Amino acid sequence: MDIIQMKNVSFSYQQDQPVLDGINLNIKKGEWVTILGHNGSGKSTLSKLLIGLLKPSQGEIIIDNITLSRETVHEARKHIGIVFQNPDNQFVGVTVRDDIAFGLENLQVPRNEMVERIDKYAHKVHMAEYLNKEPHNLSGGQKQRVAIAGILAMQTDIIIFDEATSMLDPKGRRMILDYMSQLNKEGVTIITITHDMKEAVLSDRIVVLKKGKIIKVDKAKSVLKDQETLEKSNLELLLPLKVLNYLEKENIDNEKVRSYLWELSLTR
Amino acid sequence: MGIKFNKVDFKYQGNDNKAYLALSNITLNIKDTGEFITLIGETGSGKTTLVQHMNALLTPLSGSVDIFGVKINRENVKKKKVKLNPIRQQVGLVFQFPEYQLFEETVQKDIIFGPKNFGVDEATAIERAKEVIKVVGLDESYLQRSPFNLSGGEKKRVSIAGILAMEPDILILDEPTSGLDPLGRNALLDVFYDIHKKLNKTIIIITHDMNTVYEYAKRVLVMRDSYLVYDGDPIHLFTNKNIDNWNLDVPDLLNLIHKLEEDLGIQLPTQPRNEQELFEQLKVVLS
Ligand SMILES: Nc1ncnc2c1ncn2[C@@H]1O[C@H](COP(=O)(O)OP(=O)(O)OP(=O)(O)O)[C@@H](O)[C@H]1O
Ligand SMILES: Nc1ncnc2c1ncn2[C@@H]1O[C@H](COP(=O)(O)OP(=O)(O)O)[C@@H](O)[C@H]1O
Ligand SMILES: [Mg+2]
Ligand SMILES: [Mg+2]
Repeated sequence: MDIIQMKNVSFSYQQDQPVLDGINLNIKKGEWVTILGHNGSGKSTLSKLLIGLLKPSQGEIIIDNITLSRETVHEARKHIGIVFQNPDNQFVGVTVRDDIAFGLENLQVPRNEMVERIDKYAHKVHMAEYLNKEPHNLSGGQKQRVAIAGILAMQTDIIIFDEATSMLDPKGRRMILDYMSQLNKEGVTIITITHDMKEAVLSDRIVVLKKGKIIKVDKAKSVLKDQETLEKSNLELLLPLKVLNYLEKENIDNEKVRSYLWELSLTR
Repeated sequence: MGIKFNKVDFKYQGNDNKAYLALSNITLNIKDTGEFITLIGETGSGKTTLVQHMNALLTPLSGSVDIFGVKINRENVKKKKVKLNPIRQQVGLVFQFPEYQLFEETVQKDIIFGPKNFGVDEATAIERAKEVIKVVGLDESYLQRSPFNLSGGEKKRVSIAGILAMEPDILILDEPTSGLDPLGRNALLDVFYDIHKKLNKTIIIITHDMNTVYEYAKRVLVMRDSYLVYDGDPIHLFTNKNIDNWNLDVPDLLNLIHKLEEDLGIQLPTQPRNEQELFEQLKVVLS
C-alpha cells in the first residue's frame, strides 16, 4: 500500500518561479526513502508540502488515504511528523519538557502516558538531564536531539528527518541512525533528507532532486554507484566506490578487490 | 600576538537556576598567522563557547583571553576598558546557526554590513559582496534576495560570505560545512585552505567531519565535557585509544586503509593523506 502519494505536484514561493516541478512520488508503508539533492534543490520544500505546511500550487498529495487540504491537514498531522532542518523552528516551549509535551497535547495523549513518553524519549536521545532547560540555551547538537525526541514521542506512522543529525558528533549520529533502523523495522515509514551517502546506504530507495525536479528514483544500491546522476546534483560517491571507479579507469582488474570494495560500500 | 587563553573557566546560568559548566581551565595559544586548526568534540562539549571567547563575544568567568594584545577578563570588560570593534574585525566568526547572523532585508545589505561597520566605503563593500557571493558558490542574483527566504545551505553560504567580506586576520567557522552539499563542502574547504595558503592566515574550523580533520588540519583541538583534552596533529589523534570516549570516529580514508590491510593483506608504502595519494599508492601495489 502506498502511504504517501504525490501526484504531479508543483510549488512556487513566487509566481512563475517553480521550486518544485511536476513531482510524482509514491512511498510504500514501511519503506525508508532518502531524498538527496544540491542546496536549494527543493528537499525542505517537498517535506513542508508533505506535512501540509505549504500548499501545492498544482497537484495532489495523499497521506495515509487523506487527501491534504486545509480541512484535513489537522487529521493528517496525526500520521506524519517532521524534524525540521533548523531545530529552532520547532521549539515552542519554555523548557525542553514543555516542548516535547506540546506535540503530545495536540494529539490529546492522556496525562500519565505523556509523562512516560517524555521520559522515555528524553532518555533515548540522552537529554534527560536537560528537561528543565530552555531549548534556546542548548548547544546546536543538543537542540537537534531535543527536536528528534519531540517528534519520536508523537509516535506517528511516518517521520521525516530533514538533515536532523547534521550537528551531532559521529557517535551521536550513529546512535540516532541505529534508532531509525529500529523504528523502520517496527514498521514506521521513514523519509530522511541528507547529504551523507553513508546515511543514504541504509535506506531502501533514493530520490535525487535537481532544481526542483526528480532526476532519479531507484533502489539505494543502484543510485549509490551512479556517479553521473550524483554529480549532477552536487553529490559524491562513497570512498570505496571512488576507488573502484579509479581502478576501473586504470584497467586494474582485480576481482577480489573489486567485490570487496563494493561490499564495503554497503556496510556502515 | 594571536589569541592566548590563560586558565579560562566559563559557566552559563540556566533558567532552571543550574549552572552549566562550559569551559574548564583552558590554556591555549593560537598564532595570528599560518595555522590551520580543526576544533572537534562531542555535542555540548564547549566548542562554540570556546570560539565565542576568541572574539570577545563571551567574557571568561575567571582567567583571561588575550586577543591581539588586548586582555579580556571580567574586570576589564566591566570597567569598559576594551574596545571591541577592532577585535571583531581582526577575528571574524561565522556562527553555527546562520539565522543568528542574518538580519537585513537583502543578502547584499547583510554582506556589506560588516565591512561598512569597519570603515569600508559603500561602493567598495558592494564590490566585495559581488566577489564573495561567487566564492561561496552562489550567483549575483542572490544579492537582491531576502536572506530569510533561502534554503538552509544557501543561508549558510551567505553567512560565510558576510565574514569573508570583512577580510579578518583570523577566520573562525563554527560548523561551516554542516548542511552543505558534498561538492559545495569540498569547494568551500578549498576556499578556506587557499586563504590560509596564499595569505598565510590562521583558520579555525569546528566540524564533526573526521575527513576534514584528517585531510586539511595541521593541528586539532578536541573538547570533552568543558576540558581541552587534545592539542596536537591529526595523525596521532586517530591512533589515540581515547577517540571512542571522545565520541569521535575514524576518517573514511584511514578506515579503508585499515580494512584493506586487515581483510585483504594490502599494505601501502606510506599512509596517504588524501584520495589522490591513496589512488596512486593502490595503483602501484595492485599493478
Ligand atoms: N520562504 C521562501 N521564499 C522564497 N524562496 C524560498 C523560500 N524557501 C526556500 N526558497 C527557495 O526555494 C528553493 C528550494 O529551497 P529548499 O529549502 O526546499 O531547498 P533544500 O533542497 O532543502 O536546500 P538545502 O540543502 O540548502 O537545505 C531554493 O532556491 C530557495 O532559495
Ligand atoms: N546560552 C546558553 N545558556 C545556557 N547554557 C548554554 C548556553 N549555550 C550553551 N550552553 C551549554 O553549555 C555547554 C556547551 O555548549 P556549546 O559550547 O554550545 O557546545 P558545542 O558547541 O561543543 O556543542 C552545553 O552543555 C550547553 O547546553
Ligand atoms: Mg533544506
Ligand atoms: Mg556548537
